[in-house]
Amino acid sequence: MMKTDIQIAICGSAGEGTIAAGDILRSALAGAGYRIIAFDAYPAEIRGFGKCVARLRVTTEQVYSLKEKSDVLVCLNDEHGIPHVGEVRDFGAVIYEANSIVRLPEGHHVSAYVGPAQIPYPVPIRELSERSTGAIRARNMIVLGFIAGLYGLEKEPFYRIIDNKFRKKGEIAELNRKAFVVGYESGEGTFKLDEVVFGAPTEKTKAVMINGNAAVVKGCLDAGIDNFFGYPITPATTIMEGLAREMPKLGKRLVQTEDEIAAIATTIGAGYTGARAATATSGPGLALMSEMLGLGVMAEVPCVVFVSQRGGPATGIPTKTEQSDLNIAIHGGHGDAPRIVIAPTNVEGCYICAGRAFELAERYQTPVIVLLDLYLSNRYETVVIPPTTPFEPNSDKPLSKQDLGPGYKRFALTDDHVSPRALPGMAGGMHVVTGLEHNELGRVNEQPDVHEAMTHKRHEKLRAALGFQNLNHYKRFGDDGRLQVGLIGWGSTFGECLEAMYRVREDGIRCAALKVVTLQPFPADIVAAFIDECDVVLVPELNYQGQLAHLIQAETARKVVRYNRVTGTPMLVEDIYAEIHRLAQARVSQAA
Amino acid sequence: MTLKPIYLEDKLKEVQESGRLAYRSKAMPTWCPGCGYFSMVDGLPGALNKLGIAPKDAVVVSGIGCSSRFPFFLNTYGFHSLHGRALPVATGIKTANDALTVIVVGGDGDGFAIGGGHVPHAARRNVDLTYMLFDNGIYGLTKGQTSPTSAVGFHTTTSPYENSDQPLNPLLMVLSHGATWVAQAYAGRPQQLETLMKQAIAHRGFAYLHILSPCVTFDKTDRTYDNLGHRVRDVPADHDTANLSAAMTLAMDTSKPALGLFYRTVRATLADNLDETCQRAGGAVPKRAVG
Repeated sequence: MMKTDIQIAICGSAGEGTIAAGDILRSALAGAGYRIIAFDAYPAEIRGFGKCVARLRVTTEQVYSLKEKSDVLVCLNDEHGIPHVGEVRDFGAVIYEANSIVRLPEGHHVSAYVGPAQIPYPVPIRELSERSTGAIRARNMIVLGFIAGLYGLEKEPFYRIIDNKFRKKGEIAELNRKAFVVGYESGEGTFKLDEVVFGAPTEKTKAVMINGNAAVVKGCLDAGIDNFFGYPITPATTIMEGLAREMPKLGKRLVQTEDEIAAIATTIGAGYTGARAATATSGPGLALMSEMLGLGVMAEVPCVVFVSQRGGPATGIPTKTEQSDLNIAIHGGHGDAPRIVIAPTNVEGCYICAGRAFELAERYQTPVIVLLDLYLSNRYETVVIPPTTPFEPNSDKPLSKQDLGPGYKRFALTDDHVSPRALPGMAGGMHVVTGLEHNELGRVNEQPDVHEAMTHKRHEKLRAALGFQNLNHYKRFGDDGRLQVGLIGWGSTFGECLEAMYRVREDGIRCAALKVVTLQPFPADIVAAFIDECDVVLVPELNYQGQLAHLIQAETARKVVRYNRVTGTPMLVEDIYAEIHRLAQARVSQAA
Repeated sequence: MTLKPIYLEDKLKEVQESGRLAYRSKAMPTWCPGCGYFSMVDGLPGALNKLGIAPKDAVVVSGIGCSSRFPFFLNTYGFHSLHGRALPVATGIKTANDALTVIVVGGDGDGFAIGGGHVPHAARRNVDLTYMLFDNGIYGLTKGQTSPTSAVGFHTTTSPYENSDQPLNPLLMVLSHGATWVAQAYAGRPQQLETLMKQAIAHRGFAYLHILSPCVTFDKTDRTYDNLGHRVRDVPADHDTANLSAAMTLAMDTSKPALGLFYRTVRATLADNLDETCQRAGGAVPKRAVG
């Protein structure tokens, strides 16, 4: 069977329906049985001609990231399209408006930028839209139909998605369908000159196409989340929006708080009663939550914080991606305040980490930060969600009757450093939790030996979290044994690391990639052993300082080579690929 | 006025038989002798006892400050949280478990300076809790600095040449924020305080009890027992507690602080509204039990 691996990019202005077109296209293709990875870039403004780009990679094999070169580019708008023409591969297609809406000077039209090896498809998009619907608003549906017609894709999945997306808008669905058909006929009747060919989709699977934040929502629900508290912030808001739709249907409570400090405070309050509680935010919100997270650590209250990173500092670049909050996630706040930090690397990982975070929080009585970023939160992938929940409903350390009574020790020093906890309402369990240093009973105590013993307890119980069996804390991919180049990656960039690693292996370079999911407590022994097997280790990250590289060097006392980008866009496979080659070459010439 | 003598034996017998001791921990209050806060050590256990709320079903939440140490002196569940954050912590507790009786205790700096952003939202959401605010007009735990309710002209270590900032009027604020039960008490009148505490806890919704409380250590000139004792008066007998504007007028008279209930109304609580949201979404509202 023919393999399919096609990347399509649609670009236009905010308000032109660019993202909607991308959404329908990827949903229809996922519905047809293809695998999808898709990521949209959009401006911070809702309207006002900012640039939107919807990109999707359609495959029949497992892939891990987007490609640098697209096979098809659709320009709904000349100005925004022109900078992207260069990203289309040779013999790929560039689809654009034949009769531009805006009168452009000679040479400012997309047509002037199409390279000699690229195949231009000028389409009278506006005219077709007007002819089919009487308005120019359906231009996105015209190009959608054009692509479907040009590549001979089934119409049915598109109809399903269009009807469903516009079902509440009456005749709009009908008009959009009409525009789609007109575009389809136009594409079908065009001479096909490019080399883009769709093979048959893979067998139907139970896969659904969702983005990282939707996977987090599903993970929370499957883990039996009781309460959610949050304050809107890009790119985390859609987690709260998803839960706001679903939790009330299950009789669960969600409150939009007045700020992020209240969001974490309410979450900790709910966690204290035994509820599974979570909040979601981005870097600026995490900064505000830092003091409260310290209270969660001190009072040993389970709670889960989802943090979807964006570009910082201050308000930064709110709709662009970055991995620059690793430091604050691990170290943020005052005092010795250890917490668990886990970072999924793909959409399926978002689901797993979301559910496991509640188990970890309960088992170790601590705040757990699940670190995502905009690229992962908004990236769509086809994933298979298990039909029954894989998550444990209760991970609390058992509390026995003997523990309770007048001398109940909420913070008892135990072998595993976790103290069985009584919940408000339990007879004989009355105690006070406090942000002040306290003894085993929870009474304020500032004695040197008490502070030392309790600080030790709070750190040691988390060290044990690396032995928590329900989560893969790290995973190695690629070659075994001695390596020329090793990659260590985290979060959303790990997909690009994998793609680059598999490509350099085809070139004959011995290479492997180590994925680190649990970043705190840090699996130092595993990482050190991996580094020792490599001639050189590369750590690609979307931050300036090399925050994971810092952590690795501090925890393992071993050197790594940093590769850092802060473009606000995802890492490029080609860049990592070139960097691996450069390092391998440098080692060879050094040896010579 | 002739004072009736109180005999130690009788008092001990009365306390032991009352059941109030079940609500007290063995920890001794850490406040200075004569502090107004001692009024709550007896008042709250008395109120809970009379209402028949078991120690295991009560959670006392506080922030940081002298008054916020209160949970340690009780044998209920307690959450001594961060400076200014008692209200959101309590909101989380109440959202997760309705069946608990949640009482928030704090001072004027905790509630109206650093935590000021939370008060309007707890009030407008009508979270079913009791907020007892002990107002002494000073930061006691940090040894005597100006607070948001300190009087103009007051001398403290951070305003050695007189405080010139206009004080807030917490009662007027919470009335406008939508609190559904608002009253004022005075630490020098413990019996009235206990009665008001009882009513506040019994009220379903956000109950705000403002307690004028002298700081005997760092305020020797302004809110002393002498000064306050002469200034306070009872809420006029003809005051209509259902009339919001009348309550606001009463709150604006800070020269002669009125003691008693200012305002009371009935409105859906946060939990009521969240249950209704569940029903609108077609979800079942699960029964919530203690523990």
